[in-house]
Amino acid sequence: MEQEWSYLVEEYRAMLYRIAFSNMKNRADAEDAVQEAFLRYMKDEKPIQNKEHEKAWLIRTTIHICLDILKSGWYQRTVPWNESFENAAKNIYLPYQVRDDETLEAVLRLPVHYRNPIYLFYYEDYSIHEIAGILNEKEGTIKTRLRRGREELRRNL
Amino acid sequence: MGIQEVQGQSGTPAYQKKKKTGRAEGFQKSLLQNLKNRDQEKLSNTAFETGTKAAAAGTQAGAQTKAEKVGMGRIGATKDIRMNAAAMQEALQAVEVRRMSYEDSDHVRIAVTEGYTLKGKREEGADARVYVEAKYEDGRLEAYQVEMAKVSGQTEHLIEQFAIETMKEGEEAYDFG
Repeated sequence: MEQEWSYLVEEYRAMLYRIAFSNMKNRADAEDAVQEAFLRYMKDEKPIQNKEHEKAWLIRTTIHICLDILKSGWYQRTVPWNESFENAAKNIYLPYQVRDDETLEAVLRLPVHYRNPIYLFYYEDYSIHEIAGILNEKEGTIKTRLRRGREELRRNL
Repeated sequence: MGIQEVQGQSGTPAYQKKKKTGRAEGFQKSLLQNLKNRDQEKLSNTAFETGTKAAAAGTQAGAQTKAEKVGMGRIGATKDIRMNAAAMQEALQAVEVRRMSYEDSDHVRIAVTEGYTLKGKREEGADARVYVEAKYEDGRLEAYQVEMAKVSGQTEHLIEQFAIETMKEGEEAYDFG
């Protein structure tokens, strides 16, 4: 059982952390969100159908936890620890990818309904079909959000 | 009498006729203008879309701007694009999409503002070849195989340039280890 959990954590930790970081924009809160997601997965008694379902469940739960934290009264009354973007970007970049800090920073500043589809599509390489499943939205909605999010991004840059 | 004179000079039927003609002309003008505007809007939208496609299919980094310059991204609209198209037939070959992950790629370009991502991997074998996979905002996936021996060092072709970068990345990765 313990082996199963450690495998799960090893497999998804980095990806979930990047997704949490793109929402929380600071390391400590992102780590908290990921831990909470794993805890909920362990406590959850819903049967997981397959690996893809497992992955989608974890991503969806992580995003929901982040949004809950961001909406919480406690979070809104406190000032998050501000890291420099350069430090922050280290937590999110993949080693083989061409760096573009300006764009990444602008993506992280997009409203949540654009940020998550754009982050998952471009930075985590999910398909529109997969993102629709993860975010519980229609594929058409995801396409629209990708287009509008990109337009907003261009305006902001 | 006075009334009759007025009616004679600018009678109701004549006035209505004139007014109708004026309206019709105005309507015709505004319709033509609207059609013109709509066509322009369509063209700029097409330019934007084809610009993104052209970014992966035949122009360099500022693909969109270039696509707008060369008649909304139509291949063959200018001499250099035609040359690129010819080069494309030589060095590029469309292949089946493998759905390669970022982790498996040697080089990745994420062009969020352009609406596409590129993934490249050096192919194993005697010939220097690079597999390039493009994913577009509308969900389309395209894959190419680039024969590096046929690619010019000064190529303006986005996929070819990306393949060159992938080769360098691959070499660096090999050098380090």
